[in-house]
This record gives sequence, structure tokens and C-alpha cells, in this order.
Amino acid sequence: MMMFARRMALAAGLALLGASAAFANSHVYKLYVDGLACPFCAYGVEKKVGELDGVEKVDIDIDAGVVSVTLKGNASLSEDVARVAVSEAGFSLRKFETPGQGS
Amino acid sequence: MILAAKCSSRGQAVRAGIVLAGAVLAVAALIAPVPAAAHNPIFTPGPHLVYSGGVEASVSYLRDRASGSGTRKTAQHTELEFEYGLTANWAAKAVLPYLDKDVAGNGSSGPGDLMLGTRYRFLRLDSPGVQRSAAFLVQVKLPTGDDGANPRLGSGSTDFVGGLLYGHESRRWYYNLAARYRFNTEGGGGLKKGDRQFLDLVGGVRPVLTGYRKPDAVLFLELNWENAGRDELNGANVADSGGWELFVSPGIFATYRNVALRTGVQIPVANGLNGNQRETDYRFKFEVKYTF
Repeated sequence: MMMFARRMALAAGLALLGASAAFANSHVYKLYVDGLACPFCAYGVEKKVGELDGVEKVDIDIDAGVVSVTLKGNASLSEDVARVAVSEAGFSLRKFETPGQGS
Repeated sequence: MILAAKCSSRGQAVRAGIVLAGAVLAVAALIAPVPAAAHNPIFTPGPHLVYSGGVEASVSYLRDRASGSGTRKTAQHTELEFEYGLTANWAAKAVLPYLDKDVAGNGSSGPGDLMLGTRYRFLRLDSPGVQRSAAFLVQVKLPTGDDGANPRLGSGSTDFVGGLLYGHESRRWYYNLAARYRFNTEGGGGLKKGDRQFLDLVGGVRPVLTGYRKPDAVLFLELNWENAGRDELNGANVADSGGWELFVSPGIFATYRNVALRTGVQIPVANGLNGNQRETDYRFKFEVKYTF
């Protein structure tokens, strides 16, 4: 019985470690974009940001003016690269948040 | 219900234009300080451009009808248009029209005049949920249509358009202003069509605020004023030519992601055409646009 309880505790601990590691590696960057007003125009942001290396997914909240960029694996995104992509889409980057910032 | 205010002289037409321009500028002065421009209206060119490296391909159908003196003129245009984003603020486009015309029982159809154009956005002010921008417009129309057909499918002349465009777009409201001048040169048979001036004032509203990847629609109401100088035939003025027309134009711009449908109708509400000319009954436009 004691053995079973120890194994359960170990399994729970490993599961918690795994979850926190996965959370830390979520790689979601947030781009606060000015000028975004309509879904049709937002397509340009999805297109230009989606072309960047390592980008897995782009979600856009137009009302909040926030573009969430999910990166694959160990890929990273710099503010300068994000700013150029947003600018090429015809908008302006106001604020840049790396994963973990603002949470 | 057309208020046919016939102008007996060019002076009256110019005065009417100046009054309207004043009204447009007055309204512009009132709305300009309010922060909004990505959807361009249906009949008014706007400053919004496709993103850098992007292509906007569209197919549009336009039908216009004019009548007077017991005759009727109907023209149907099917246009293929491509716009390419050279940079985020500079785009180039080409418009290839195919025309089907009927004037008083005589019909002709075929390719029309090719139009090449560019827009440069020299001002862009972005704030949260709002974009204000202004652009220059330059276009050239080449004499590729058959000007010997009856009715003519091309003007036989190389014509130029220059314009200034302003747009204000927010999540809810849209405002646009445009002023354009078209310089016409002499075409086939010694005919020079009169130069044309265009002034446009637009308001728009998005009744339902939808999110990304959701269907979206903006309703527009445009006021379009057009003035034409008298045509010249071998250097002599053509009496029954030139004058102005004013249209009220409701329209809708519906989108889903990178696909857009635009449709609207221009309804004439006043004119000051010189001499005896056909008056526009209506102009209808339907367009499908795809961005990639």
C-alpha cells in the first residue's frame, strides 16, 4: 500500500513538472497593433506574420488590437522582426510581449 | 426623382462644383479630427492598399444606363483588375475591361481601354482600432479599345487621372473623401472628350462588430459629383456635351477573411448637363475581390 502511494505521488509530481515545462514553452508572443479596424485588413497581418520563421499559428483579436503569435519548438521572435512584418502589412506595432510577459 | 437643373452656361456648372467642393471640405473639416480607412468604398477610390507583396485580384460587373430624346444607351463592363503591393504604402494596378454597349439600337462588344494605375500612401496615422490615411492616385488609360466600332469601345486617346484620397476607418465608422481630375487627349476622328473632375464624400458604418475569421459587412453611403468640360471636335466645341451630375450611392462591402464582395448603385439626384444629352438613369456595380 505504501509502495502504491509513493508511486502515485511520484507520478503526480512528474505530471506537474511536465505541465509547467509545457507552459513555459508555450511560445506565445503578443503583438499590440495599432490601426487594426476590420477583419479583411487583418488578413495582411496574418499573412506577413505567418510567413516568419518558426510561426505555427496566428490569432487576431481585432477589438483588442492584439495579434497572438505561437511559435514552434525553440523558435523565437524579436521585436524588430515583428515590427517590420506588421509594418509591411500596413499597420503599426505599439507594444511587444514575449512569452511569460504580462501574465 | 431627378432634379434636372439644366445649366445654360459653363459658368453655372463651375459655380455648382465650387459650392459642392466647399460643402465637401466643410464636412471634411468637421470629421477629420475624429480618429478611422481600410475598406475602400464602392464608387470612390480610397487610400487603403494591399499589403506589401500581396495581390488583390477582382472581377467586377458594371451596368449603366442613360436616356433622353427618345433614345437609350446601355453599357455593361466586365472588368478584371489586379493590384500588387510594391511596398506597404505603394501599389500598382491594371484594369482590363470588356464592354458590351447598346446605343439607340446599335450594339458592339469587345475589349475596352486598358487602364494602368498606381497609388502612393503618403500619410498613415494608426491608433488603437483606428487608421487614418491619405494617398495620391495616378492613372493612365491607353487606347486599346476599338474606337472605330459603333458604338465606340475605346476613346482612341491616352488619358490621365490624378487624385487625392483620404480615408478614416474605425471599428464602427468610416469616412472617405476623394478629389480627382481626368485629362483627356484627342482621340480618333479629331474628337477630344472634355476633361472631367470628380469629388466624392462617403460615410460608412459597420452595424455588427465581428471578429477575425467571421463574416463582416460595412454599409456605405456615397455622394459622387462629376463634371465634364465640353467635348471638342476638330477644335470646335460640341454644344450638346459636358456638364455635371450628382449621385447618391448606397453600397455594401461584405467580407469573409480574404474574400470580399462589393456592390452598390449610383442614383442620379441632380444634373446640369449642357444642351440636349442623355441623362444617367443608374449605374450598378458588383465586384468579387480575392487577396493573396
